[in-house]
Amino acid sequence: MGLTYSAYIGAPDTTPRPTDLPSFDPLYGFQNGRPERRMVATTQEMQAAGLEAKDRDYCAHKLIDLMQCRKDAFPWTVACSHKVHEYEQCEFDDYVLRMKEYERERRLRERSKRKSAMVQTEALGN
Amino acid sequence: MATLAKMGRTVAVPLLAKRLGIVTKSVRCMAYWNKDWKPGPYPRTPKERAAAAKKYGLRVEDYEPYPDDGFGYGDYPKLPRISDEAKDPYLPYDTPHNKRFFGEPVHVDADAMTEDRWNPTRTYRYPMNQMRLWFIAVMSGFFFLYWLGNKYTIFNPAMPKAYPNDGKKHYTFESTE
Repeated sequence: MGLTYSAYIGAPDTTPRPTDLPSFDPLYGFQNGRPERRMVATTQEMQAAGLEAKDRDYCAHKLIDLMQCRKDAFPWTVACSHKVHEYEQCEFDDYVLRMKEYERERRLRERSKRKSAMVQTEALGN
Repeated sequence: MATLAKMGRTVAVPLLAKRLGIVTKSVRCMAYWNKDWKPGPYPRTPKERAAAAKKYGLRVEDYEPYPDDGFGYGDYPKLPRISDEAKDPYLPYDTPHNKRFFGEPVHVDADAMTEDRWNPTRTYRYPMNQMRLWFIAVMSGFFFLYWLGNKYTIFNPAMPKAYPNDGKKHYTFESTE
């Protein structure tokens, strides 16, 4: 069903709210581990570029690149369209990661609910 | 120099004449200062009442001053509250834009009852209770929708954005093989 239906009617206990953070161990279920996300831009670079707090994410280095390119190429900033695309692609991938994390959280909640229900039925059977 | 003086006279004399004309006209008026427009003291005796009625162009039986309770208007007549909007639009008024005949007494709140403002005798299409009910119903409907939208928010299936300095480790979903 739709997300809004699941969140309020279908499965309100296992559907994560938009403000919820991941509550399970991030490495749970990954036998070989997961690659950690790498922050490229340093705090000094971000401060020097005057980035706002909301822009100091994992794509900050691409934004700094883009700003530098725009400054160098001005007023022919169309020359930076590839950098714009790179930055937007990075933000898109970041959003996809967020959606994947959401889905993982939802499925793990479903799973833990199923498991606890199984434990309860077994206890009743014995 | 003589030319300059002549030029000065040609300019100044008509101006001064005009100004003197204004002065004589205002002196000829009944009142030329705001204190002269004030109503007189509250009439106590029948004789005073008759004098006040005559002053405002009313018959004695039509004349009724505002009660002298500290919020009154002296001997100014208490006229019915009829807006300019409620007056007959087809009469040959002397002052058509506020529908007034010459010498007709003016209501104390006449400035609030011009055609584009308050009309106390207005009849509405729907009764006032019905209008209040509709207002409350519509506003409650809006507030209900607002409350509903706050309680059941529609959101995208995504976790809050991960920032590198929030004290946690963030991972991708890529394979490590």
